Amino acid sequence: MLISRAVPDAAAVERGQKIFVGNCGFCHGTTAQGGDSGPDLVRSPLALDDERGDKIGPVIEQGRPGKGMPAFHLPADQIQDIAAFLRSRQQAAIDRNAYSILDVVTGDREKGREYFNGAGRCRSCHSPTGDLAGIAKKYDAVTLQSRFLYPRTRSSDTQLNRSDAQSIHSQVTVTPASGQPFSGTLEYLDDFNVALRDPAGEYHSFSRDAHVKVEVHDPLAAHAELLKKYTDADMHNLLAYLVTLK
Amino acid sequence: MTGFSLSAQGLDPAHLLKPPTDTWPTYNGDYSGRRFSPLARINSSNVTAMTLAWEYRLDAGSGTLTSAIKSTPLEVNGVLYFTLPDHAWAVDARTGRQLWHYQWESHGGIHIGSRGFGMYGSWLYFETPDNYLISLNAKDGSERWHVEIADVKQEYFSTPAPIVVRNHIIVGVGGDSLDVPGFLESRDPETGQLQWRWNTTPRKGEAGTESWPNPEAMEHGGGMTWVPGTYDPELNLYYLGTGNPNPVMAGQGRKGDNLWTCSIVALNPDTGKLAWYFQASPHDTHDWDAAETPVLIDGEVEGHPRKLLAQSSRNGYFFVLDRTNGKNILSKPFIDINWSKGLDTKGQPIGNPEKEPKPDGTLVTPALTGAANWPSPSYDPETGLFYVNALSSYSIYYLTDTADKPEGYGGRDSGVYSTMALKAIDYRTGQVRWTHEYNRGGPSIGILTTAGKLLFTGDPSGNFIVYDPSNGKILWHAHLVSNVSNGPMTYELDGHQYVVVGAGDTLYGFTLL
Repeated sequence: MLISRAVPDAAAVERGQKIFVGNCGFCHGTTAQGGDSGPDLVRSPLALDDERGDKIGPVIEQGRPGKGMPAFHLPADQIQDIAAFLRSRQQAAIDRNAYSILDVVTGDREKGREYFNGAGRCRSCHSPTGDLAGIAKKYDAVTLQSRFLYPRTRSSDTQLNRSDAQSIHSQVTVTPASGQPFSGTLEYLDDFNVALRDPAGEYHSFSRDAHVKVEVHDPLAAHAELLKKYTDADMHNLLAYLVTLK
Repeated sequence: MTGFSLSAQGLDPAHLLKPPTDTWPTYNGDYSGRRFSPLARINSSNVTAMTLAWEYRLDAGSGTLTSAIKSTPLEVNGVLYFTLPDHAWAVDARTGRQLWHYQWESHGGIHIGSRGFGMYGSWLYFETPDNYLISLNAKDGSERWHVEIADVKQEYFSTPAPIVVRNHIIVGVGGDSLDVPGFLESRDPETGQLQWRWNTTPRKGEAGTESWPNPEAMEHGGGMTWVPGTYDPELNLYYLGTGNPNPVMAGQGRKGDNLWTCSIVALNPDTGKLAWYFQASPHDTHDWDAAETPVLIDGEVEGHPRKLLAQSSRNGYFFVLDRTNGKNILSKPFIDINWSKGLDTKGQPIGNPEKEPKPDGTLVTPALTGAANWPSPSYDPETGLFYVNALSSYSIYYLTDTADKPEGYGGRDSGVYSTMALKAIDYRTGQVRWTHEYNRGGPSIGILTTAGKLLFTGDPSGNFIVYDPSNGKILWHAHLVSNVSNGPMTYELDGHQYVVVGAGDTLYGFTLL
């Protein structure tokens, strides 16, 4: 949670914006980030310290004569609306998880298709009319960009991929000293233990002692390998191609 | 230090210079940052018998726990002292029994973590997310005073453990959200009053202004002082890694190297004056604070003894400097990186502009969280190796604010992949001597080495592990309630050696019975 102070009422923000643009924008800019003769109010310590107009109110009413700011005789409720607007501008700057990503589809779709069918070797596992049919309807472009690079959602991700909880499991075969192998979906693996769920849904857990053989098939290994090889152009082109798969 | 009376429980200041084995008096155990203990009661021949002595599960009283245990406890006269954001505890170092708990009423701020206490005589000092320095009585956890060191309404929040050098309580601050200036302060131990402040970015008329386009950019330039530093008493220099410039990802309004952000700096602790600097990431746009512990190594260069400093930096470089003057000895990546065009004549990396954040995204390695982060590395003088839990990782970096004067972060990242490996780096060459690869990534983890020929750390699967530091062989492990979240530490009481580690909400004490 990046915002720890109260979020101002949306109606007050909207009113405040109109009042601000009409009275203050000429000097301070329409987004309060500073203009020709007035400073930035988004990163202003006084404006950040303000609560519902208690600090900015006196400045608005008295002006700053030495610095060329005139006095503005605004009623208290309008000052509070301005305060709400300024707080919303500050919180918009602070809340980086809500920043809008600009246009990401900038690549060459034909080059993307060539990469998919050629150097990327995506065809070894994927088909545009098979498993990837409609992929661009399922995911927006920004999400698609992260997912084709590496499809697993990780807890250390920023919030871009939060809505997509599908996870892709590795398969594993464990052959203990007795020789009878067990195969299934990998549930747990570290240097000391391995656990799987077999096709019947039964759970099997093993200590990784010296004679225990563990073979993991990670379907995402090819994605990890490609991360070292992509140029940014490859990444943009591939996305431009994938967004056509509707 | 006249007029200094020492209680039975208090810390003898001489112990900060040369800690006895029954004392861990400061964040890193001593001023060097090596996190190497001379204790060898637990050693390679008996470590298989190491076992659990006690556990302490955090009791937050009427408050809530907002973070895992990231603090390295202090241990002084048989008592462990450690913190969490807004909370502090004292626990018996032999039994894990709680002696006292202190809770601060917060005014806000990001509650991501707290690195612990500094101690001066009978007084403890820690920082809060809302930027107060608080002094507690070690005997009972009662508050003596609190002073505000930064304004939480400007999005500062404070995480470091204060470091005590003579009568200086050295405190740092954090907060990248709203482009505020970073600084380091020294405070009076009796009153908390300001002794000096060093600004990470210059002010008008000072040296370093040529690395910024204008005063407004400098005064919104960031450079937070996130992690405790190290200290050489002979040179009387305090070493610190500084944070990245602001706006974090949008560099167009701050063209230039942006001194002294993303730098290793040496300061005089009595005056706060800058002695020298080395910049790990000139004009950084990836959030790669160079705040990682600057570890002091008394080593060799071409057969001659040299006073050195080494950092496994967030941007993926292992740097070795001469700590008397900041001269570069070595700069070598310890993971694969794709953002650097090489080194300049000072040994500082040259960033590739193609890999700065772009509106449609650029794929960068390491990811935003970096090849290394705040968790402590360790240097073992017996092996000559520098150990770090390194992340190989990728992020897509997006520029979201293309204005001439961006504000806030100005961009976002999407972390797409990470995997961790414990690496042993030869400080003389930067070569990785051995590696232990893990099968997943996660936050990096702190490390402790000892004269018992042991290396203590965690893996990303929840295990606490002991390695042979010479070759990476695993000697012992235990699965804890959660991943190791702090740096392991050790001390000896009544002939028993304890190794203490934090994992989530639980502090564990291991020993030989």
